[in-house]
Amino acid sequence: MTLELLLSALGCGLLCYTLGRYNRAVVLQRWEFVLGAPEKQAIDSLRQRMAVDSALTRQALEAADRAREARPPDALTVLRVALSVLEEAGADRLTRLRAMGVYSRMVRAISPLPPPSATPFKDPSLRATASAAGLVHRVLVGTQERFRLWLLMLGLGVRIVLRGGRRSADAAGREPQQRRHWQDFAREVDDFEALDACHLTAFEALVASLAAVDRGGRLRLWERIVGDAG
Amino acid sequence: MSELQVALAHAVGLAVLVLLVGLFVRGRAGLCWSFPAYALAILVGNTLATFSPDRFYTPEAWVLKQGVYDILKMAVTLELAWRAFAAFPGAMRTARLTLLALLTVSTLVLGALTPSSTYGDLWAWEPGTVTATLWLLTATALLVVWYQVPVHAWPRAIMLGLAPYLLVFVVALGVLKHHGWFPRYDWASILDSAAYLALLLFWNRVVWRRDPAGAAAAAAGKAA
Repeated sequence: MTLELLLSALGCGLLCYTLGRYNRAVVLQRWEFVLGAPEKQAIDSLRQRMAVDSALTRQALEAADRAREARPPDALTVLRVALSVLEEAGADRLTRLRAMGVYSRMVRAISPLPPPSATPFKDPSLRATASAAGLVHRVLVGTQERFRLWLLMLGLGVRIVLRGGRRSADAAGREPQQRRHWQDFAREVDDFEALDACHLTAFEALVASLAAVDRGGRLRLWERIVGDAG
Repeated sequence: MSELQVALAHAVGLAVLVLLVGLFVRGRAGLCWSFPAYALAILVGNTLATFSPDRFYTPEAWVLKQGVYDILKMAVTLELAWRAFAAFPGAMRTARLTLLALLTVSTLVLGALTPSSTYGDLWAWEPGTVTATLWLLTATALLVVWYQVPVHAWPRAIMLGLAPYLLVFVVALGVLKHHGWFPRYDWASILDSAAYLALLLFWNRVVWRRDPAGAAAAAAGKAA
């Protein structure tokens, strides 16, 4: 009896937690996006966003580097600006990765992605993460699982880069004359750009998978979904 | 039957009747056809026990009645899962495997662990059966959220309401098992009826409520 009581309490708790947080309006919006899949537009918009983030960070970093010898306090202020741009871009990437995880469960099949590789990265932790993900990728069979592994690797990568960026900026604040800290920050920016390239590849794979559903099938599914919702 | 029990039974009967009417008036019955059958069985069981307690308010009648309710609750659970995943073949395959595994494991566990019962103490099976039903609901809910399957407010309310009630029911059965059937049956029955009345009020609220969000989504979908 105690076992049944415990199991019932656990099941009831899980159900109330998951269904209590379930929001049908949000789910319908997500399906509307999936079935309406604005393929090229979505990819172009992400590419532009990444280019702007990268240009802003690079510009701030270069300005900070130029001011480093002459006016270290100003250089540090500009470096903090570069870090804030990187942090904002990182938050955007993490949000998109979470959404991509949700959407990846809504399609039947995902376009295959190559195994993650450490080659484009410079940070040792990031290289180790990418290498480990590359190994796990070979063990997994399904394209959906492999896609989620990519998302996990990218999420960890963004966190590693942001942590590294903060550490370098703090170190540069303590020892502004040490060129090494500035180089470390520049390395994190390089890694962030490499992660962005991988992010774009994963996004393209997801969008291609969404687009793979034929138009008639999409309409039928949408009618079914809305019919059930009405 | 005490006066309180009779009052609760009448309230439950009335609430089930209002719910049944609401299901058809608001067009919710088609979202899960086995649910009206379950509600009807509750109404019949409740009416018999209230108006003819000598014959139908007995442990034997309770066991028979509960068997019917259990079958119908299981049918409601499986129909909810089937309807939720019918349009999504990938999710449907996982749901079929998960629910089949749960049904198999719970049947094996019930068969192996529950002591052999006579007709008089057949209710010893009940906590296990209820737990299995609850886990079928939980698995369906988890899969709905994992695959982002759109479900109507009514099936969601069935699951959200039934699960806590089933937990209360298992607790009430625990009280009966611990303290014995006859001295405590009335108290366990009051606890169960009060919880069921609360559940029916919740279901009535959802069934009778108009659904502007759903109507707007439907209109938007047709326009798109």
